Amino acid sequence: MTGRNRGLTATGDGDAGDGSVQSSAAGVDDPSVDPTDDAGERDAVEGRTATARSGVAIAVDGLSKRFGDGPDAVTAVDDVSFEIRSGSIVGLLGPNGAGKTTLVKSILGMILPDAGTVEIDGIDVRKRPRAAYSRVDAMLEGARNDYWRLTVRENLRYFATIGGIDPDSVAERHERLLEQLELAEYADTAVRDLSRGMKQKVSLASVLAGDASVVFLDEPTLGLDVESTRTLEREIRRLAEERGLTVVLSSHNMDVIEAVCDRVLILSDGRLVADDTVDALRRQRGAQSLAVTSRDLTADVRADLEDRFAVTTVSHSGESTSIEIEVDGAELYDAMALLRDRDVRIDRLSTVEPDLEDVFVDLTGRQESER
Amino acid sequence: MSNPPASDASRPATYYHLARAVLYREYLIFVRYPANAIGGIVIGLIFFGFLFYGGRLLAGQAFTDSIEGLVVGYFLWSLSVGAYSSISNDIGSEVQWGTLERHVMTPFGFAPVALLKGVAKVVRTFLTSGVLLAVMLLVTGSTLQLHLFTVVVIAGLSIVSVLGLGFAAGGIAVLYKRIGNWLNLLQFGFVGLISAPAFDLGWAKLLPLAHGSALLQQAMVDGVRLWEFDVRALALLVGVAVGYLGLGYVVFRAATRRARRLGVLGDY
Repeated sequence: MTGRNRGLTATGDGDAGDGSVQSSAAGVDDPSVDPTDDAGERDAVEGRTATARSGVAIAVDGLSKRFGDGPDAVTAVDDVSFEIRSGSIVGLLGPNGAGKTTLVKSILGMILPDAGTVEIDGIDVRKRPRAAYSRVDAMLEGARNDYWRLTVRENLRYFATIGGIDPDSVAERHERLLEQLELAEYADTAVRDLSRGMKQKVSLASVLAGDASVVFLDEPTLGLDVESTRTLEREIRRLAEERGLTVVLSSHNMDVIEAVCDRVLILSDGRLVADDTVDALRRQRGAQSLAVTSRDLTADVRADLEDRFAVTTVSHSGESTSIEIEVDGAELYDAMALLRDRDVRIDRLSTVEPDLEDVFVDLTGRQESER
Repeated sequence: MSNPPASDASRPATYYHLARAVLYREYLIFVRYPANAIGGIVIGLIFFGFLFYGGRLLAGQAFTDSIEGLVVGYFLWSLSVGAYSSISNDIGSEVQWGTLERHVMTPFGFAPVALLKGVAKVVRTFLTSGVLLAVMLLVTGSTLQLHLFTVVVIAGLSIVSVLGLGFAAGGIAVLYKRIGNWLNLLQFGFVGLISAPAFDLGWAKLLPLAHGSALLQQAMVDGVRLWEFDVRALALLVGVAVGYLGLGYVVFRAATRRARRLGVLGDY
């Protein structure tokens, strides 16, 4: 996966107070930053801040939004801070009502936050919206996002223009985009005549038709079948890599997030409760486990296993016993060697990996119970 | 990486490209889905038929003598309704489609995009109302002075004020969804504004349409050319047009800003 860094720094709930920007991105090497160019002068002219030069595409600091007043007031976004580096794909997860849509719309200026700042490529969205909007586009949940009475190609041309790009200058890119999203054959078909999956792809294509370097995709695979979802996942990754796009992808579908995203932000009750790579979040949940079912898992064998490994589950069914052992790296071989030495004939064997859904339930469930 | 970076060859769009895109979209919808336009013309004609034949039945010769005034007034009314409802309904549709946000999130800023959309609606309305006017002249057998330049400028400036009202109504509909339909009833109030000159009220000139209606009657019935009008009368026409358009845009901005504060922009 070349060309994509995995750097995202966050100042979530825990350390939002100091306002510092931590660079957690080990080995981040942003090719877009050339220390020898005259970036300083240019940025001063364009009104961009230091974050732009440090390769940060989205900088959100202390963003809060409350709806309503008094006892009925709802805090939809609660002091959320994070930074997303250019070229990364970040998943935004959260249960219904967690504040995902409000957060995305607040970043885009479609909702006016009560507090906090948002910078896109170093441009303050509140102070200089027009400059910021030349860098960003969004596909919002549940919306068509395009004109169904126009053809696919007409939509691409129209929204490229609205996004500030002469459509003739990106005509070739549009053709490529149509090819990549398997829409070329339908380029001159009115969007209303396409299937739901196709419409979803057109919506994505229209968001990518301009020159936006940052795109927000809210539930891009909603209502798609498995095959269409996979195509879209693959293309989002490919387009992000080819164009160095920064993508913020919000979805309820954990598989999509796992397949596409470098990192994940998890929101619960308007607060950022997790911000890490998918792998790190999985590891946080626990190690890989080995599940073994056998009739030879006697009490002695189980005792031996428990002495040397972390045995998480033991269950009996008839003469069979099933056991789950946490194994980390080389421990797998040790566990298997022990089973062989004790003449355990294995009836069933599998490895169990914690998935993002487990992490999500842990984090958002815990958050709920703490309140 | 087989493909070059996406932004390699891209050039920024100018206002020309923006105008071309917005007007071309309107044109495409117009030619591809003519049923809406034709339906509007047919309904306009049926309504006019009731007025014309009913009026002749009730008032006889007196009505027939003033038929030119009625035709001009009806032409202006159809233009006004077209401009007002198309822009306010358009904003409602854009909210529903999720495209309004994309027009708000443009580096051009929403104002020029909205203005161009308004221009597109006015052009479209002129085409349909032009057809309506031609049929009305045929049906009534009356003749009018149709100096195209004068008529387009006077009628165009007259309905710009209504376009402003359309923006205001569209903005209010973004904020209070259900009110949108009720605001459509306002178009019947235009009849009063168009006939206001008949009452010869001085302050009525400051209302949308009223002063423009008087000038359009002079242009189309009496044959007064644009340059033959008093400069102050034309200045007032421009002032009213710009004033109401500005006011409408301010209301639209305030309404969408409140919608953004309440988090309901784009909700449907």
